[in-house]
Amino acid sequence: MIQILILGLLLGGVYALMASGLTLLFGVMRIVNLAHGALMVVAAYVSFFLFTELGIDPFLSLVVTMPTMFLVGVVVYRWLFTRLEGTDRYSEMTVLLTFGLALVIEGLLGYFFTGIFRSTSPGYATNSFIVGDLFIPRGQLYGSLTSLALILGLWLFLNFTKTGYAIQALTQNRTAAQIVGVNVRRVSTLSFGIGMALAGAAGSLLSYLFTFFPGQHWQWIALLLSLIVLGGLGSLAGAVVGSLLLAVLAAFVSNWLGSTWSPMTFYLALFIILLVRPQGLFGEKETV
Amino acid sequence: MLLHVDQVTAGYRSGPDILQGLSLDIEENRTYCIIGPNGAGKSTLLKVIGGLLTARSGSIRFRDEEVTGLRPDQLLGRGVCFVPQDPSLFPKMTVRQNLVMGAFLEDDKSVVRSRIEEAFGLFPVLAEKANQAAGTLSGGQQQMLLMGRALMIKPTMMMIDEPSLGLAPQAADQIFETIAGLSDLGITTLLVEQSVERGLNVSDWAFVLDLGQKRFEGPSDEILEDPRIGELYMGKAPRIE
Repeated sequence: MIQILILGLLLGGVYALMASGLTLLFGVMRIVNLAHGALMVVAAYVSFFLFTELGIDPFLSLVVTMPTMFLVGVVVYRWLFTRLEGTDRYSEMTVLLTFGLALVIEGLLGYFFTGIFRSTSPGYATNSFIVGDLFIPRGQLYGSLTSLALILGLWLFLNFTKTGYAIQALTQNRTAAQIVGVNVRRVSTLSFGIGMALAGAAGSLLSYLFTFFPGQHWQWIALLLSLIVLGGLGSLAGAVVGSLLLAVLAAFVSNWLGSTWSPMTFYLALFIILLVRPQGLFGEKETV
Repeated sequence: MLLHVDQVTAGYRSGPDILQGLSLDIEENRTYCIIGPNGAGKSTLLKVIGGLLTARSGSIRFRDEEVTGLRPDQLLGRGVCFVPQDPSLFPKMTVRQNLVMGAFLEDDKSVVRSRIEEAFGLFPVLAEKANQAAGTLSGGQQQMLLMGRALMIKPTMMMIDEPSLGLAPQAADQIFETIAGLSDLGITTLLVEQSVERGLNVSDWAFVLDLGQKRFEGPSDEILEDPRIGELYMGKAPRIE
């Protein structure tokens, strides 16, 4: 029982990192970034080749993937998303845009790297710490701790810096943020970059925790959407709690019913939360 | 002259022109009221001046500087601030945090602290609720917070859109008392108000808008007696008690 709980929590910590970038973008810009999973897979490929070609550890590759994906995010936002600003159906158009972006990324990855399943294999990926009767997978532990450290960093940034306050302001009321002097485009660009950097970090961890291939991002985005809907769209705390809860639940389901039923947990939870509390655990009901 | 609006045309997205070649001049340190029936373009005019909406044509000059098309933060840096009619607080932030956000462009923390104290002096009820989430305040208190937040940058010109909207008479009185005192602080005020009598009572000069154009203007006390006001609003002379 405790063993399953530990495994669930460790995996949930990594899911939380994956979901945090996605929920940040929704909170600040109301963008449901369907390309988030694809960009994670891009970062996983970067880490994979850094590991296999240069012997760079996936954790060290964070130093490369995070800034690179940040810059990719800045360019993508400035190049594509700003063109949609002021359009009548901004949110709907961004869904289509990110859907298209995901398809393009998948196509390019498939063309250059084929559909072969890949994974990096640092030594710690298959080792465990043994504590009494319990085993703690080293790779998952490191991944989870790294994720929580990055999320803590993001939280500190959002709550103790002027730019972080500007991002929060934009999340709560876009017009009000403009009125008090927040440069909305600059802060949106920065937020998009941060969201992508988090996707980059998540991709590096993904590269050794899971196998991956170009088309796998659809599974990831479906799972991540269920996590942030459970937590409440736009809520960082919600993304963390939602990830931990569902990962633990999925671990128990996997143990009781078999691993094939584990992914179902996320989608079933998504349906239930939409029926019972559509605003999610940490979201607030919108009033008309 | 503080502000010169010249032949401005503006509208929303792909919709029709709401402002149709509107021109007006604003002198420093006076209080102006813009009145007119629904759809006249009053709020649109404030949004265009405040940079929330871009003019399709025409020009806006602030202190002889062309400011047409500038962003709200750029205009705020020049002392032009806007208090919109829509709820525009940060509901999850506390009253104090909202005030801090009002001074977003001010880097000196001691200045921000002293201005917060000034805002609390102006609206003592905000001091009592300093650590309460803004979204939990009453309508009147939220309006006070909006005013207090706008004053955090020591604006040169303050545009206020429908401050009495949805407020109880007593709360509206308090807001208008503050507006009446803004000129003593050296602030030029441009006020849009549906309650014609209330708006004209606190202002020196009034512009009357209809269908996106300025129909006429004049001293507020004279405008109140002008029979054209009644015709514009109701097709008859106004009933003034």
